[in-house]
Amino acid sequence: MESLAIYAPRLVTTKEYLASGHRACSGCGEVLAVRLTCKALGRNVIIVNATGCMEIVSSQLPYTSWEVPWIHTLFENTAAVASGIEAGIKVLSRKGGYSQKTKVVAMAGDGGTMDIGLQALSGALERGHNFIYICYDNEAYMNTGIQRSSATPFGASTTTSPAGKISIGQTSWKKNMPAIAAAHDIPYVATACTSYPFDLMNKVKKAMKVEGPAYIHVLSVCPTGWRLPSDLTIKAGRLAVETGVFPLYEIEAGKYTLNFDFPQLRPVEDYLKLQGRFRHLSKEVVAQIQERVKAEYAKLKRKVIQGS
Amino acid sequence: MITLSIDGRELKAEKGQTILQVASENGIDIPTLCYHEALEPYGACRLCVVEIFKGGRSRVVASCLYPVEEGLEVKTSSPRVLDNRKMILELLLARCCKNKVIQELAAQMGIEQPSFKPEYLEDNDCILCGLCVRACEQVVGVSAISLVNRGITKEVAPPFFEAATACIGCGSCYYVCPTGAIKMEDKGDTRIIHNWKVEFKLKKCKVCGNYWAPEKQLDYIRDKLHLPEEFFDVCPDCK
Repeated sequence: MESLAIYAPRLVTTKEYLASGHRACSGCGEVLAVRLTCKALGRNVIIVNATGCMEIVSSQLPYTSWEVPWIHTLFENTAAVASGIEAGIKVLSRKGGYSQKTKVVAMAGDGGTMDIGLQALSGALERGHNFIYICYDNEAYMNTGIQRSSATPFGASTTTSPAGKISIGQTSWKKNMPAIAAAHDIPYVATACTSYPFDLMNKVKKAMKVEGPAYIHVLSVCPTGWRLPSDLTIKAGRLAVETGVFPLYEIEAGKYTLNFDFPQLRPVEDYLKLQGRFRHLSKEVVAQIQERVKAEYAKLKRKVIQGS
Repeated sequence: MITLSIDGRELKAEKGQTILQVASENGIDIPTLCYHEALEPYGACRLCVVEIFKGGRSRVVASCLYPVEEGLEVKTSSPRVLDNRKMILELLLARCCKNKVIQELAAQMGIEQPSFKPEYLEDNDCILCGLCVRACEQVVGVSAISLVNRGITKEVAPPFFEAATACIGCGSCYYVCPTGAIKMEDKGDTRIIHNWKVEFKLKKCKVCGNYWAPEKQLDYIRDKLHLPEEFFDVCPDCK
């Protein structure tokens, strides 16, 4: 899918649902992800947006970037509000006041999904509401000043897990959120990355067709928080996938598919050395990360081969 | 600015826009299979039919082709429209009785089984919407495929039903096809597009060793833009 260079991109819609002029940092991968997602979603959606970068940059009073129905929620109740809206639509259409098939889409960052909003999300997934939940994972609380979250990878330096003489930064491994979502036995779970735009839009379109909850985990490169030159956003995302740090896969009704399988994975060092948040890492720690990535990737591949 | 009403809503539109464009901009859903905003409208699938009211008379028209007019009254789901749309879907379903996309659309309209006799059903994936032909001509500019024959023998094919010599393997036809009728796969170092009977060698990146695009497509772009010989030796990730 991804090697459709140059001509197929001209067939993607030119209509924008997230207007320009928002306050995202230059080189922001997350706002690009939201823009592409909105293109794939189209006009007939209601977006429920948790507090976080995307809410801050897109809706500064009295302006808004959103050209689709949009509601801002707290960190913790995004999935709850989304399920409420979905239930409301269901009731309205049963009573005959509403005939359109509007999809409810919840969007949140990694903090709003994996830390604070997890119980509401778990509840909504378990109740089987017909909605899409998209997590834009930039691996820390970026808009408040780069505090660590449970999505922050091992060894990353953040303001609340600073690297120094006695610490290597974050000392716990990244929480495997797609696996948590998949454990709810929902019809569709996928991981995506802005560096693979066709794959991302394809997955969003697939999620639109699903009856029931769908979860998409999007790795959104954050040049500000990752201490990365802003022109390397796309490259960093590609490297994350090519090194096996963030493999792109989907789980359809329990069946695993790896979307990008490379003849050989790149060494993780290629990915780590780009970013200032990893620059303090010693060779031993890098080797430790490499080992973990390899093991995780092998585990995923086993699941793909077994089919579940 | 033109004012018209769609499903009872007063809407403003630019001159030259079609009913379908105005409706989708305002969140009014009209099903369509052959419309694509990057390509000239074609009016092949007829799924987008709507009823227009003008001067005391009403007509059923294809909304992807009908330009908006001052004071036009449009209904996208009147009984007459739904009857028409249902019949069109019945016919599409008879042609593509095993296609998932058509089956889903039909199910949404309440058609579970095609009402034609089983001997009239065909197992085809192509609905002759012409999107692939138009994309190849208008977006890529090579016109490797075209619609040949007429009536019931009409089909999409390369010239003389032989391998498409002009095809550059870009995959736009595969991407744009609404029913998944075009089968393309990348196997190792080759890309095969089964429908046009073509095979392409993929270019290997000199740095990472991944295959990233068909060589013929890169040659085509290089010739068109007068790029240096070694311009595509390295894939975009390694540049």
